[in-house]
Amino acid sequence: MPIDAALANRLARIVGERHVLRGAPELLVYSADGLPGYRKLPSLGVLPGTRAETVAVVRTLAEQGVPFVPRGAGTGLSGGALADDVVLVGLHRLKRILSIDPEARLAVVEPGVVNIALTRAAAPFGLHYAPDPSSQAACTIGGNVAENAGGPHCLKYGVTLNHIAAVTALLPDGSTMPLGGADEHEGYDLLGAFVGSEGCFGIALDITVRLTPNPQAVVTMLADFTSIDAAARATSAIIATGIVPAALEMMDGATIRAVEASIYAAGYPADAAAVLLIELDGLEAGLDGDARTVERLCLAAGARGVRTARDERERVKLWQGRKKAFGAMGRISPHLVVQDAVVPRTKLPEVLAEIHRIAFRHSVHICNVFHAGDGNLHPNIGYDANDADESRRVHEAMIEIMRACIDAGGTITGEHGVGLDKLDHMERIFSGDSLAAMCRMREAFDPQRRSNPGKVIPVRSCREWHMTPAGRRNAREPVA
Amino acid sequence: MTAVSTPARGIESGAAGEVREQVRAALEKGKRLRILGAGTWLDAGRPVRANARLGLQTHAGIVEYVPGDLTITALAGTPLAELERATSAERQWLPLDPFGVEGGTLGATIATASSGPLAHGFGGVRDNVLGIEVVTGRGEIVRAGGRVVKNVAGFDLTRLMIGAWGTLGAITEVTVRLRARPEVDRTIIAPLPRDPHALEQLLAAIRRLPLTALALQLVNDELARRLDVGDAPCLLARIGGNEDSVRAQMAMIGQAVGARGTVSGGTGTGGGASGDAASSRTASGGALTEVSREVWQTLRECEHAESIVLRLAAATAMLPWLWTGATGAAAAVTGTYVHAWCGSGTVRMIVPADSEAMEDPAIAALVRALPEARRLGERLPPALWTRLVPSAVTDPVSRRVREAFDPRLLLNPGILGEVMA
Repeated sequence: MPIDAALANRLARIVGERHVLRGAPELLVYSADGLPGYRKLPSLGVLPGTRAETVAVVRTLAEQGVPFVPRGAGTGLSGGALADDVVLVGLHRLKRILSIDPEARLAVVEPGVVNIALTRAAAPFGLHYAPDPSSQAACTIGGNVAENAGGPHCLKYGVTLNHIAAVTALLPDGSTMPLGGADEHEGYDLLGAFVGSEGCFGIALDITVRLTPNPQAVVTMLADFTSIDAAARATSAIIATGIVPAALEMMDGATIRAVEASIYAAGYPADAAAVLLIELDGLEAGLDGDARTVERLCLAAGARGVRTARDERERVKLWQGRKKAFGAMGRISPHLVVQDAVVPRTKLPEVLAEIHRIAFRHSVHICNVFHAGDGNLHPNIGYDANDADESRRVHEAMIEIMRACIDAGGTITGEHGVGLDKLDHMERIFSGDSLAAMCRMREAFDPQRRSNPGKVIPVRSCREWHMTPAGRRNAREPVA
Repeated sequence: MTAVSTPARGIESGAAGEVREQVRAALEKGKRLRILGAGTWLDAGRPVRANARLGLQTHAGIVEYVPGDLTITALAGTPLAELERATSAERQWLPLDPFGVEGGTLGATIATASSGPLAHGFGGVRDNVLGIEVVTGRGEIVRAGGRVVKNVAGFDLTRLMIGAWGTLGAITEVTVRLRARPEVDRTIIAPLPRDPHALEQLLAAIRRLPLTALALQLVNDELARRLDVGDAPCLLARIGGNEDSVRAQMAMIGQAVGARGTVSGGTGTGGGASGDAASSRTASGGALTEVSREVWQTLRECEHAESIVLRLAAATAMLPWLWTGATGAAAAVTGTYVHAWCGSGTVRMIVPADSEAMEDPAIAALVRALPEARRLGERLPPALWTRLVPSAVTDPVSRRVREAFDPRLLLNPGILGEVMA
């Protein structure tokens, strides 16, 4: 879409000339997010630095009827922040923590605040922000709200949505609206609708988040298994007791070896078929009892051994291998698809076996590192996106993995979102009527469908949409 | 690969097909529908202007229950009591405990977002529903969410339907998450101070404890008598976990209650120092009494179908003042029960309907006394609805949402106070 210079000039008067990106060289930084194989160049970039500027920018775009894509840190893994020849609104400059109320355990932040920066700011009060996606050192709270981001500790503490008390939404028409803050008893849950809407319902101008007290005590354990199946059975057995671990993560042999060969080596047993990283937290009293129960269940399921971190240094090391697993895989191949799907916990053993068969059939190298306690799989495939044959095999394997998860009663994404990457799968899990209902829900927030056009719902599923220019820009062939 | 398999599109429930026919027939005939489950909560919400009924009670039964997944799928008309029976056999439970007589259905609980004391420990309805099937006012079957505990596929229609009181769609099937029952589950009571400053310090001390109770309620003196736990306002705490953990939690609450005792008589400086002083003092800890878990069931069922039920919501920090105001106003009407969630700042008042006061003085005085509290009706006479909480659909987005799912205002018209054509 050709952006006329007049619009760019108007935006520059709001944010300053150096925060308007008009040309390819400076826009290149914003042409990709965490999803490999896709590059889309925005027509224009605008980076507001204050709340007032953000409102003015969106109002200006609304007056001109111009579509736009909101973007946080661009760490998303589903292509949700890609702007294909439309205006990109970068929100990373809005990074002020506006207030922290330790008594009420609430903080109000701007959307560009980095996830871990919030936890650091809350630390002096003995509090933290619980959702901890692997990208927490870079990703923003605004992006987390858009994606309803998860993380290892969501097993016990819940996903982003469970930690958002209120949002001031900037709707695509330039109006602002407070969402949330009320008793849940009556009225439409517009806050619940907004969180996880992948930037299609507008921009979160400020976000009131709940802070979580740091636990009195933490026990981190590593259980070592000679089969994935045994590790999956141990997972089910632990969950069935009613003990809710703070985190229950699985890494398979391929992941363990990648981690151990990297600078993030965590001392995982290199010959294991799988390890479980189990963290229990809460009151000191009773925690040892739960830890002994977990250990007993792991050994009963066939674990060779269970190791408990003796101090904070060991705990951090055990977690480092998990949190940096993606980075470790990056050493092995130039590109990495980090996949995301969810299956019922009891289906983990059979789905993992099926993933293994799919990988073998397509001669691709899959590492599994995932939130076992939630049944949230992350099969990752390292490959070279410049190798057309390998790219094709990776693509086919991914489609088959998604199908296997759907067939097992699962879903296509647990925390990364649909974005561009999962559009084709939406029709496999939702009927035409259900997709059309989602389209109408979006229109309640964005009647012109200008915010993040072409994402989440395949355009062809939106019956009433076919005639709109905003929805049609949806070129999605990988650039590889 | 051309064939697209569609196994997980969700097999539409038999209920949905039937309900869709009823909705389509109503659309054709220009009828407006009152949706009902067991029919036990028909007096809740604003008056509905309908001329036909859409009954869901016959659409009952568990569709799928895999204990290892800690999820259960059931048709909307399934009584909560049936879910309770099925899950307790597996030492699991659905921690939703709405108020009202036994026999309420899953669908009505979800549609009205009715949770009870356990929301303190497990979250409310919105935190516990994983997937939903509805028939919209356009006569379409819409399925959203799924049967897994983590799911961000598509826009969150599930959340939108919870608490919509059926105005966007008649719920036909629901999947909820279950929890394992705690190994030990005990209930204790502690006396509450009447002075709001002392109450503030007590609540702050409890909030600072490194524990999450399953439930933590304040109850007024009338309700305490009804629950048979004494004559005075008290704190009712339900504690779960393993034996060691429960014992430690009870001790902590005992200390907090004692801490309040030391502080209330002093200068009220609060803070950690007074807490420390108190911990040594209350080793004697006589303030706590253990009571039977039955009190929670009594609390759920204590109101008569004719009672007026009103909720007041404010910031958690305002709870001591809201509580003092509400209990003060309640004292004017004999038999008025008041209870509150310590974690959320919500106060619930149950006023006997035969009271002379129902048409005004107590509630009007209460509302005047608490200007900053948000009022939420639960069960009110029509005139009071109009005066106190005229509408829950006031902003343009909510109006467009209603329009998008039920353009003809076919479903429960008026129940949210929406402007009627």
